[in-house]
This record gives sequence, C-alpha cells and structure tokens, in this order.
Amino acid sequence: MRLFRSGLRKLVRRPATFVTFGLLVGLLALIYLAVGATARQQTGDGDGGRSALLLLTFPGAYTLLLSFILGLGGLFAMIYGAAIAGSEWTWGTLKSAVARGESRSRYQLVSFASIAVMVGIGMVVAFAIGIVVAFIAAVIAQVPTEGISDGATLRTLPELLARGWLALAEACALGFAIATLARSQLAGIGVGIAVYFGEQFASIFLPDIVKYLPFNAANAVVATTSTPGGGGGQIARLDPEVALVVVAAWLIGALAVTALFTERAEISG
Amino acid sequence: MTDGFALKTRGLQKHYGQRMALAGLDLSVPTGVVYGFLGPNGAGKTTTMRLLTGLIHPDAGTIEVLGRPFGRRDRRHLFDVGALIESPSFYPYLSARENLRALAAVGARTPNARIEELLELVGLRERARDKVQTYSLGMKQRLGIAAALLSDPTLLLLDEPSNGLDPAGIVAMRETLKQLAASGKTVFVSSHILGEVQQLADVLGIIAAGRLVREGPIDELLQGEGVVRVRVAVSETAAASRVLAGLVGEDAVPPTPGDDGWLSVHTEPERAAEVNRALATAGIYASGLETGSDLESLFLELTRSESTTSHEGNFAGPVGWGAAGADPGVADKPGGGAT
Repeated sequence: MRLFRSGLRKLVRRPATFVTFGLLVGLLALIYLAVGATARQQTGDGDGGRSALLLLTFPGAYTLLLSFILGLGGLFAMIYGAAIAGSEWTWGTLKSAVARGESRSRYQLVSFASIAVMVGIGMVVAFAIGIVVAFIAAVIAQVPTEGISDGATLRTLPELLARGWLALAEACALGFAIATLARSQLAGIGVGIAVYFGEQFASIFLPDIVKYLPFNAANAVVATTSTPGGGGGQIARLDPEVALVVVAAWLIGALAVTALFTERAEISG
Repeated sequence: MTDGFALKTRGLQKHYGQRMALAGLDLSVPTGVVYGFLGPNGAGKTTTMRLLTGLIHPDAGTIEVLGRPFGRRDRRHLFDVGALIESPSFYPYLSARENLRALAAVGARTPNARIEELLELVGLRERARDKVQTYSLGMKQRLGIAAALLSDPTLLLLDEPSNGLDPAGIVAMRETLKQLAASGKTVFVSSHILGEVQQLADVLGIIAAGRLVREGPIDELLQGEGVVRVRVAVSETAAASRVLAGLVGEDAVPPTPGDDGWLSVHTEPERAAEVNRALATAGIYASGLETGSDLESLFLELTRSESTTSHEGNFAGPVGWGAAGADPGVADKPGGGAT
C-alpha cells in the first residue's frame, strides 16, 4: 500500500500528468466550442452538419463525449504510460528500487495501478469539464439542452465511465509495456504513437482484424453510432461486450509482458 | 552467523555476449571494515556491484551477503544493504525529501525521522525542498549517499562515492564511513581513485580483467611500498633524478620525471631527510617533501600484467606521477587525492 501511495504522490507532482490532462481538456474544449460556434451554419451541409449537432444534443452527447475522450484520451493515456514506465529506466529509479530489495514485478504492477487510478481520475474530471463545455457549445449553437437531465442516461453513466476507464487503462498499459521493453521514455512514446496510427491506418485495409486490436477494441467498449475524435471512424466495430473482453485481455497481456520482462531484465545505467 | 565476513563471492563469472566481465571473482569482505575495491576502468568493478545488488545475475559462482546465500529469489537480503551504484538515480521533478520518501516506500520500512536525520547528515536540509533537477553533481551525490544509508544498512555498497563532492564533502563522507565501520557496519567502496581508497580503507581488494589480483589489510599490502616525493625547480628535475638515482638506485627513481617538478623515490619514508640532504649537497634545494606508501606502484604492478593480457584498453601503462592522478603522500594530507 505504501508503494501505491508513493506512486500516486509521484504522479501528482509530475509535470507530465498535468500536461497530458491539459492537452486533452484543451483540445476537447476547443473542438466542442468550435462545433458549437459553427454547427448551426453546417446544418445545411447534410450528414456532417447533423453529426455536429448530435455531439451537442443531450442525452446522446454524454456517450459521444465519452467516446471522444476514449479516442483522443487513448492516445494520450498510452503516451502517459510510456512516459512513466520509460523514465523509470532512463532515470535509474527502477534500479534504485531493485537494489533496495523491492520485487521487480510488484514494483511495476503497483506503479501501473497508481497510473491507472490517475488516468481514471483524469477521465472523470475531463468528462465533467466536457459536459460543461458541451452545454456551453449547445447554448451557442442554440441546441435544446433539456436532455442533459435525462434520468435513464444519467443512470448508465457510472457503467459507461467504468468501461471507459478500462479502455484507457488498456491503452496506458500498452504504452507502459512498450516503454518497458524499449527501456526508454522516448522510444516508448515513439513506438506507442506509431502503433496507434499504424492501427488506424491498417483499419482501412484489414477492418475485420483491426477491430480486435487494442485501440479499436478500446473505442468499441462504449456503444455509439460514430466515434468522434478519432479511433475507428466507420470501420467494423466489436460488440461492446466482446470489446470489453478483448480490452481486458490486452490489458492483462500488456501487464504480464511488463512484469515478465522486468523480472528477467539485466538492469544497468 | 556471518562467519566473520559481511560479503563473500566465490568463482563469480559474468559475460556480456562474448566479452568476459568477471572471470571467477573471489572476494572476502570482513565484517566491520571499510573495504576498498580498486581496479582500472573496465576491470569489472561496476559489474560486481550490480551483481551484489541483484541488478544482474551471475553466469556462474556464488554470492553470500551477510552470511546468507544471495540469489535471484533472495531480494529480501538486500533490506540490510544500502547501495549507491554508478550515478545517483532520482526523480528530477521531486525534491530531495520527496525522493527519499519515494525510496523509503520500497524495500525495507524506513521511518520518516530517518529521512530528516540523513538530510541533516549530508548537509541538504536547507535545500531539501528544492527539485533535484536544480542540484549540482555534488549535491546529487550527497543525496545518493543519504539514499544508500536510508535503511540504516548493515552493509553499505558505494560505487565511486566521492564523485563530484567538494573537498569538505569528501572529508565529511570519509568520516561518516569510518564511523559506520567503527560501529560494526561494513562499508564496501569501489573506486579507481587510489588516494581516496588509501585514506579510507582498512582492507583492499584489487581487481584486474575480471579477477581479484590481491586482497588483504592495506597496511600489509603496502609494506615495502614506501615512497618519498620531492619537489624541485622544473629545470633541475633531470639533475635531481641523477642525484637520487645515485642515492637509492636507478630502479627507485622514475626515468622520466613529471613536468611539475615532483620526483618520486621508491624508498622507505624514513629516508626522507637523507634524500633532502643529498639534493642540498648537490646544490638542488627542495621546495616540497612528502612521504607515504605507494599504493599506485602496487596497483600498477598488479594490474598491468593482467591488463596487458586482457582485451580492455590499458590506460594503466608506464606513467609517471604527473600523469597518474594519484598521490602517494596523500595519507599525510587530509582531503587530498580525490580531485
């Protein structure tokens, strides 16, 4: 427990935490306000204009907002995970922990647990800010906002957020594993970004395979009709329940790879 | 329980690919001493330190830490060990205090009071709230030593602990380590700075090309390794060399004197006055005179033969005092020898 608490304290003090969160919320606000400002003009543009208005129309906006966070946030969560894991090697702090007799795999897994909690908190706060921004954008776009208090949708939010958290944790675990294998912050981030965009690109040619890959599966855990903010577009999507299982498998797989590699690694530097 | 030894290795071997880093290392570190672990660059010192702290694992051989076998599954034995390996490792965005707290969260349990005590000991109390990224190399090194002492270890493993420390810091560190040894703890110091080790260590182990080439109490090892150093005007070094060669024999005087005016004569320190008199009689007046035991000569003698047979580069070749960087008389000069 002291290792977990220490992990959280380190993350709270870490600039990367606030930079990543700030970027996510900043982009979210920027896009929603831009949509709000232009949606009314686009209504004559057919599907594009109607999609833009859907983003701002509650209660459907709740799910679309979360989907947006999963798309953009998935990439950020992966970069964040890679940054944290990679720096343990680059700065030699993993070395110090091991030399003090700490279990290697326990150190990594507990460190990840604290990152996952941080990502969860970030997601909930971003979601809350997103609702406020979407509401403001809806008012700007003169879209009715009475759906914001729709009881049935509000009751589903905890489950949606829990699913979203799992999806972001999976992306984060993937970055964490890649950076651990690369033993480097920058290499981890670089490879992680390449995997993310590689997956998006491959979805054009191999949709039936790519839907099982980590980012596409993560985007599918929340059922929506479209995925604003990236993460799949109109490609084949897994059923949300199947996606949940696939995401959990990727998460566990990534953590297992991290733990095994760290246990066997020769630590130097 | 510890059989009188805090640390023992037998037949320790380690390869990195085709390169052999350790070729059967047999160390015996007695309890309650400062053990100086010397060796030229690439001799296997850091590899040994990594093996002793479980960062890497040996290809063959055994390690005993505080009387207990130490293998892959014995990480808890390290709860009684403190280590500073290579450069100190910290989170740059955290303060010294926060870094020590983060470190205290792993391994052996450490009370918060210990952190404050150590910050005071290493002189970082006033800067304890500053981020480590703003620290100088010496301050990071101080913090590294504090981190190594965090769990009040029975065995302390330090790799080049004086790196970056200012003279006052070196003296303070030396005193601290000696006090620790006096209180029954064992301090294992790896270094290639001979003067520092000579002042600090009770027992020496010299490693070359992955093998231990000499081990024992420093006084015993340095018997017969006396030296008298004399400083004359640079223009008179050649003449002084001839005078001294006539006095103590040609083998005892380096053939090429250093360009700083210092000459080393391998002879008993008691002959210092005789050396001075011989020079004065020849009309050469010394501006400096030092005596001591020549660890450098012993070191070069022991490591040269091993190094020439190893694949490592040999920077320990036939060098004079001016180039070697170690000072034979450093035992008489507190704070010296760690430039």
